[in-house]
Order: sequence, then structure tokens, then C-alpha cells
Amino acid sequence: MISSVNPAVKMVAIIIPGVLLSFSFDIFTPLTYLIFIVAFTFLFSSIPVKKWLLVFTPFVFLALGFAWMTTLYTSDSFSGGRVLFEFWWFEITTGGVMVGISLALRSLCFVALSLMFILTTDSTKFMLSLMQQFKLPPKLTYGILAGYRFLPTFKHEFEVLRQAHRIRGVGRAKGVKGRLRQFRRYAIPLMANAIRKAERVAIAMESKGFTGSHDRTHYHHMSVGKKDWVFFASIVGTFFLVVFTSYQLGYLNIFGRQF
Amino acid sequence: MMKQWKLKEIVLMSIFGVVFAVIYLLFYFFGQGLRNFLTPFGLAPFGYEVIFGIWFIVSIIAAYVIRKPGAAFWSELIAGTVQVLIGSPAGPRLIISAAIQGLGAEVVFAATRYRNFSLYVLVLAGMSAAVFSYAWGWFQSGLAALTPGLIAATFAVRVLSGALLAGLLGKYISDQLAQTGVLRGYALGKELQEKREKEAS
Repeated sequence: MISSVNPAVKMVAIIIPGVLLSFSFDIFTPLTYLIFIVAFTFLFSSIPVKKWLLVFTPFVFLALGFAWMTTLYTSDSFSGGRVLFEFWWFEITTGGVMVGISLALRSLCFVALSLMFILTTDSTKFMLSLMQQFKLPPKLTYGILAGYRFLPTFKHEFEVLRQAHRIRGVGRAKGVKGRLRQFRRYAIPLMANAIRKAERVAIAMESKGFTGSHDRTHYHHMSVGKKDWVFFASIVGTFFLVVFTSYQLGYLNIFGRQF
Repeated sequence: MMKQWKLKEIVLMSIFGVVFAVIYLLFYFFGQGLRNFLTPFGLAPFGYEVIFGIWFIVSIIAAYVIRKPGAAFWSELIAGTVQVLIGSPAGPRLIISAAIQGLGAEVVFAATRYRNFSLYVLVLAGMSAAVFSYAWGWFQSGLAALTPGLIAATFAVRVLSGALLAGLLGKYISDQLAQTGVLRGYALGKELQEKREKEAS
């Protein structure tokens, strides 16, 4: 199951193909990999299909928009091929359409990879894993976790501020200038409060004996096992397999150079 | 690397990262809307560029307030990581983008040896972050496939946005915060305190 894979390993496994995909400008590579990622997500996790689709669908439209934009503004080195049609000053070529579709598929690949990560990872475990596997300083890790824990309280504080403003007769602002002033009226006190809290938390941590050294015990022990490497190998390995297949079939295109 | 940092400075930086992660995420959706609005005019590529500077602001604020080596880089990295924790659709890739943007701002502060934090340096840091992020975007979103004219125009808009929304706005927000007195324990607050004492005497 993907949800039990070590979060730090999972992150690296997802970033590697995410970065390397940026080299490809053909359709075959991202499309094949996208199909693999989607299949992998549903085979090895318990994410409800409905929930996944709900998040994924908006990005399909976004990707289509991006494809259209790329098609319109394709640079000369990519806009080879037949001219399909022209309007205004735009010339739509087959090369442009291909690159547009490729970039759209690439962005969908990123989204599918991201969803696989987000929907199966617990945020606290992710931070703990970064500390235990990647040697992120404990001072930073616990600082971030403390800050993260404050997020829900911001909403409450915002409500209190709003009510405080209301009771003193400050109503809702009108116009752009008023809105900006209103934003300042909320943002500065909210942040000032956050800073005060940060100071208090730091003092509390130190007074309880937190030194921030790596030599410490952990309540949640994050480990890297065989299963994590299998996950890593299948995500990254499949990527290289796809690239190789694409090369064999003659589709591979890296920065406009056909191989 | 963080030996000379006090714990309260690290926690402050983390809190900045968390707060701005939320703001970044809100702006992500705002940018989406802006882009949809501009699409009928054929200006969709500029939707994000106009507000891009906001994504560098935490670097500027953290560096300006704390004034320690690494503040710009780490705060941006934290903001990126927390965005992933909250569940940004951009995913773990965001951590790399954040690191690169943070590095862009950090370079400028490092060049002044963390001594000069005038408006001009802050604006320059915002612009540098924009340049770094554009180079990364060029690679990652396949901007190589777009026409040079469009690339030049979007690049100019992003750098300008970095100067205004990150540099200027970042300084303004930090100064406003310092005026409330909550930053008294940090470098910016201490500087303000000294200035006030000098004026009083």
C-alpha cells in the first residue's frame, strides 16, 4: 500500500520522474507514464475514485488551456510540420499542436504524481521522516510542526478580530482602497499574534529541555525497509522503462531534438 | 549550519513559512482566476506572472527581520514544504521550486555579507528570486517551446512583480510588524529600538 511507504522515500521517488519528465517534448512518454501512475494509484492505495476525480478533473481543463496557449505561441524550433489553419496572426501547425498536447500531458503527469503523494501521506509523519531520514535539524522540524499546529487557530483568531472590529463600529470596507486597508487591518494583527506565539513556543520548548541535537529519542520511529525500495524502484524504474520504450519506438523528443 | 541561530528565530521563521504557505496557496487559486479572466484577451500567460512576486515575499520578510545567513532560503523552503503538507495540487515538486526561489533571494543577501538590508537590496533580492524562478520554470513547464517574444515579455513582468510584490511589499509588511513592537527580540526590532532611542536623546 502506498500510504505505508516511508514519506521521505516517497517524496524522492516522486520528485525524480517529476524533474526528468521536463526533458521530454513528445506525446508518447508522458501519456504512457500518466496511464501507469493512474493505474498504480488505484491498484495500491485505497483512495476513492470519486475523490481523486474531483481533484483531478479541474486540472484536465487547466492542462487543455495550457495546451491551447502553447499551440498558439509555439517557438520556431517546435512549430514544424503542416499548417493546419490560420486565424488573425496565429498559425496553427502540427508541430505546435503536438508540443501543446505533450506539455498538457506532462502537467497532468505532475498532478497525478502529486495526488498520489498528498492523498496517501500524513503530514506529521512526513516531517518526522524528513528529520529522521534526511537529517533535517530537529529545531526546524519541531518549529515547523509547531507552526503547522497553529493554522487552525488562525481562523478562530480572525473571527475574534472581526467581531472586535464590528463592536467598535468598523464595518465592511467598500472599494479597492478600502479593501486594501481592511486587509492590512486584519493581516498585521494576525501576524503579530503569530510572532508572539512563536516566541512563547520557543521559550516553552527550551524550558522543557529541548536542545535541538540530533542525538535524541523518537516516539514515532520512521524506518526505511524493503517495501520502500520496491516502491521507489517501481516508480523510478518504470519511468526509465517508458523513456527507453519511447526511444526504441522512435518517439522520444528531448528539447526539440528527435531521437 | 544553524549553529548561530537562536531557537526563537528558527521558530519565528517556521511560523512565517507556515503563514505564508497559506497565503501562497490562496494566491495560487487567485492566479487561476486571473488567468481565466485574461484568457479571452489572449493574455493568459500573464495571469500568473503579474502576481508572481508574492511567492518570494517570505524570503524577503524573514531575511529582513532575522538577518542571519540562510533566512531567505530556509523560510521559502519551509513555505514550499508546508504547502505540500496542506495539500497544494502542485505537489512535492513545489519543494524544489521553493528552494530555487529562496536561493535566488539568498544570493543577493549573501553578496552584501548580510550587512545591508536597505530597500534597494530587498528589491534586488526579489528580482533575483524572480530570475531564478524563471530559469527553473523555463525548464520545468517547457517554456522552451514558446516564442522568444512572449518569453521576454513574461520574464519582464515577473521580474517587475518580484521587485514590487516581494521587495517593496515585503519591506512594508515587516516595518508595519516592527511598529507593533512584537519584533523587539529580533534584529529588525532591535534596529528600530535603537533608532528611537537615538531620536529621543
